Amino acid sequence: MIEVSGLTVRFGGVTSLDGMEVTFEAGTCGLIGPNGAGKTTFFNVLSGFVRPAAGTVRAFGDDLLSMAHFRRARWGVRRTFQTEQAIEELSVYENVAMVHEHSRLRAATRREDVLGAISLVGLESVAYARVGTLGSGERRLVEVARAIVGKPRLVLLDEPAAGLPDEETAHLGQIIRGIPEHTGAMVILVDHDMSLVSGCCSRTAVLDFGKMIASGPTAEVLRDERVVRAYLGTEALA
Amino acid sequence: MHSLLLMALSLPSWQDEQPFLVTGLALGGVYALSGVGMIVLYRTTGVLNLSFGAVGAFGALIAWQLINHSGMNQWLAYLICVLFAGAVTLAYGMIFGPPLARRDPLVKTTATLGLTLILLGVMDLLWTSSGGASRSITLPTDNHGFLIGQVQVTTTDVIALAVGVVLTVVTTVFLRFTKLGTAMRAMANDREITATLGVPVRRVEAAAWFGCGILSGIAGILLADLVALDATTLTFLVISSLAAALIARLSSVVVTFIAAIVVGVVDAMVTPITSLTNYRDMTPFVLAAVALLILNRRRVLSLSRQGF
Amino acid sequence: METAQAPQNVPSASPPAAPPRVERDLLIRGAVITVLIAAVLIVLPQVLSLYYIDAMTQVAVYAVVALGLGVLVGRVGLVSLGQAAVLAIGAWVAARLLFGTGLPYELVLLASGVITMLLGTLVGLPALRMRGLYLALITLMLAGAITVVLSSINFPNGGTGFAGYNGSQVHIPPLRRPSIAQTDPAYFRYSVIVGVVMFLLVLVHVRTRPGRAWAAIRQSEPAALAAGINTTAYKLWAFALASFITGVAGGVLAGAVKYLYAFDFQTQDSITLLAVVLMGGAYSMWGAIVAALLMQLLPAILNNVGLSPDWLTIIFGIGVLQVLTTAPRGIVDQVPRDLGRLARRIGILGRRSPTREEAAR
Repeated sequence: MIEVSGLTVRFGGVTSLDGMEVTFEAGTCGLIGPNGAGKTTFFNVLSGFVRPAAGTVRAFGDDLLSMAHFRRARWGVRRTFQTEQAIEELSVYENVAMVHEHSRLRAATRREDVLGAISLVGLESVAYARVGTLGSGERRLVEVARAIVGKPRLVLLDEPAAGLPDEETAHLGQIIRGIPEHTGAMVILVDHDMSLVSGCCSRTAVLDFGKMIASGPTAEVLRDERVVRAYLGTEALA
Repeated sequence: MHSLLLMALSLPSWQDEQPFLVTGLALGGVYALSGVGMIVLYRTTGVLNLSFGAVGAFGALIAWQLINHSGMNQWLAYLICVLFAGAVTLAYGMIFGPPLARRDPLVKTTATLGLTLILLGVMDLLWTSSGGASRSITLPTDNHGFLIGQVQVTTTDVIALAVGVVLTVVTTVFLRFTKLGTAMRAMANDREITATLGVPVRRVEAAAWFGCGILSGIAGILLADLVALDATTLTFLVISSLAAALIARLSSVVVTFIAAIVVGVVDAMVTPITSLTNYRDMTPFVLAAVALLILNRRRVLSLSRQGF
Repeated sequence: METAQAPQNVPSASPPAAPPRVERDLLIRGAVITVLIAAVLIVLPQVLSLYYIDAMTQVAVYAVVALGLGVLVGRVGLVSLGQAAVLAIGAWVAARLLFGTGLPYELVLLASGVITMLLGTLVGLPALRMRGLYLALITLMLAGAITVVLSSINFPNGGTGFAGYNGSQVHIPPLRRPSIAQTDPAYFRYSVIVGVVMFLLVLVHVRTRPGRAWAAIRQSEPAALAAGINTTAYKLWAFALASFITGVAGGVLAGAVKYLYAFDFQTQDSITLLAVVLMGGAYSMWGAIVAALLMQLLPAILNNVGLSPDWLTIIFGIGVLQVLTTAPRGIVDQVPRDLGRLARRIGILGRRSPTREEAAR
């Protein structure tokens, strides 16, 4: 469970997150909102790239903000980025293994974990291929595998489906739905593809101009009039 | 302790320091001119022009050639030097600006090292330093001057400091109050967005390249007169102005000016201190390194890929 | 996580993360390289004149220096414009130890590597907060400062005191060489072997955890942090490794030239070094060898045929621009590709009139 309270982030004169209050429960939660609403900023706060002006984040009872950023990954915060981050010159295996190298587990266990993550995203046939030889959809899956290898506790997915064709999005949705069950981690999913969000997330929160304007069961939230106005534009009401 | 005492004992008198202060101010003026030229180009195009010194040196050597071997009128030769520097820099900008436009500033800056090497090679080929033939440029203004107290000040010194001051003021005003200046400042933030606002990006960039080149030509002649007419020396004097630009974090024209004057003055005034005189050339490095370390304490993270 | 999902076709031997075919490729490659090194050690000293043996010794030294810069630029994405100054520090330390102690040459090399590493890391520590352009420029500044200091205190030449400099120009003893490598051909072999050891040291780094961490940092620092990589530690590690091998190279250089002078280490060398490393290919270890050949063998050849080495400066300048605008992976990548293209074209010409069978295929 992630409890966020009073989270405020300012860049110069711009307030990017404005006293954000929200609690994410176990399972897969959606986080939606128009561009510039502060979704990625929120992820950046969780990963430690942005230091908030005020507020606290408690993750499973631990104070997340007091941890050094690279330690957060070892603690269990994992994420994907909007820009592609799979490393071309390394193999799929090495890309995933890299995330899992700092655990104190035995080499054999680590290896099994890595292969497990790779097969969970369905890339076992190309496990030793260089990422540079893969297509963009497969690279996206490599990043997902990096986010779920080992024992993650919180997986942050930042627009994983952006730019993917429909059938690959559907495949990705299946994988995302399986993450809590297979790894025990909770997932926060940011995406503009509403069918992906509603297909994966039992609960969804909505950010607009740095403030939470709604949160609750996904279906209800998506029907909320304020959400529709803020996010989908006025013509969607018609 | 011993060496500290020695240092204190060998400190020159204020009387002795005065001529060095004059030299320092003159050099500082030229460094300011160069630093401002580099910053304006950097803000407009994202290129830190490390070939600034080499272009100026090339221009100065051409001027020397024209004066001493073709008997050309001095001022005409200097004009040709300045125009040559402008043309070379502009040509470089027009050829290599577009293909590198979207690359990291680090890549764009490294590319200017390519131009630097080409110019250095050509200069060493055309004006070999073997045979001990030393060249020099002596501006006619060297012979005019006046006394302040007991210190001889040449008109060249005055000109050097004056160009620095004037350029700093003019650039500041230009960037703030003219249309082209506003366009340049906008481009520092985002080239693409500025282009969509109807700013002729290519033309503004060309203006910046040409202006930077002109300034390198002027700096080349002044430094050839004040320091030495030597390809390598002049090429790497760019580091002093670079230090000033870095202290200003590659953004403020006024801070660049102040830093350049400080670099010039400290460098010159350390000269008569016997225990330090060998190390005076470290001035720009030390000042810039300290400034960078203090100013850049904040970590900045970016998602862009590193390197080439 | 379910471990039973591990696919069947993966060998169960744990550490090496590669299927058998890749391992066999590595084996073949290792064998080819071993033969190549043996040829360099045995054949080159036989066929080359002393002039070119000296040049090749320099190549061996600079290949290691270029490799160090290649690690920084190509693997981690940190650009240093001060590697020639680091080399100078290594040479200085080695010279001081060679005059001041009777240590075996190998220990002197190790010590100059370690001391250079400590100095390089000390300098790198605050510089690592900077990135990209600023880091490159501060290394340029620091290199300039080091050059000034060295030209003031001079290189040790058998004198006394900390600097070990003897102002008199009359009796300057040469730097000693290892007892097993007194002659120039023997010293050439010695430099190649030291170079090979340094290459292996880097190879081990690149192929294991630090190599993967560096690749992640180069890709993007935030993503590396998000993957749990302590980016500061690994960047410092890269700096330390590069400084170490460059320091060792400095020690080899000291014995190669026998007399060291401050004016042999100029700021321009650092720039030329970056130029040749970019031209050779910063992403590959072969690139370092190509870079060293460009920087040390080509001038020797030009000198020999009576052409000015200034032509090379021009070519390196053009090379940098060409690499940055069109071929970011350098000669080691481009030439085989161009040759391949050429071969295909020749192949097409050769088969102007394909037989019926071929056409049907």
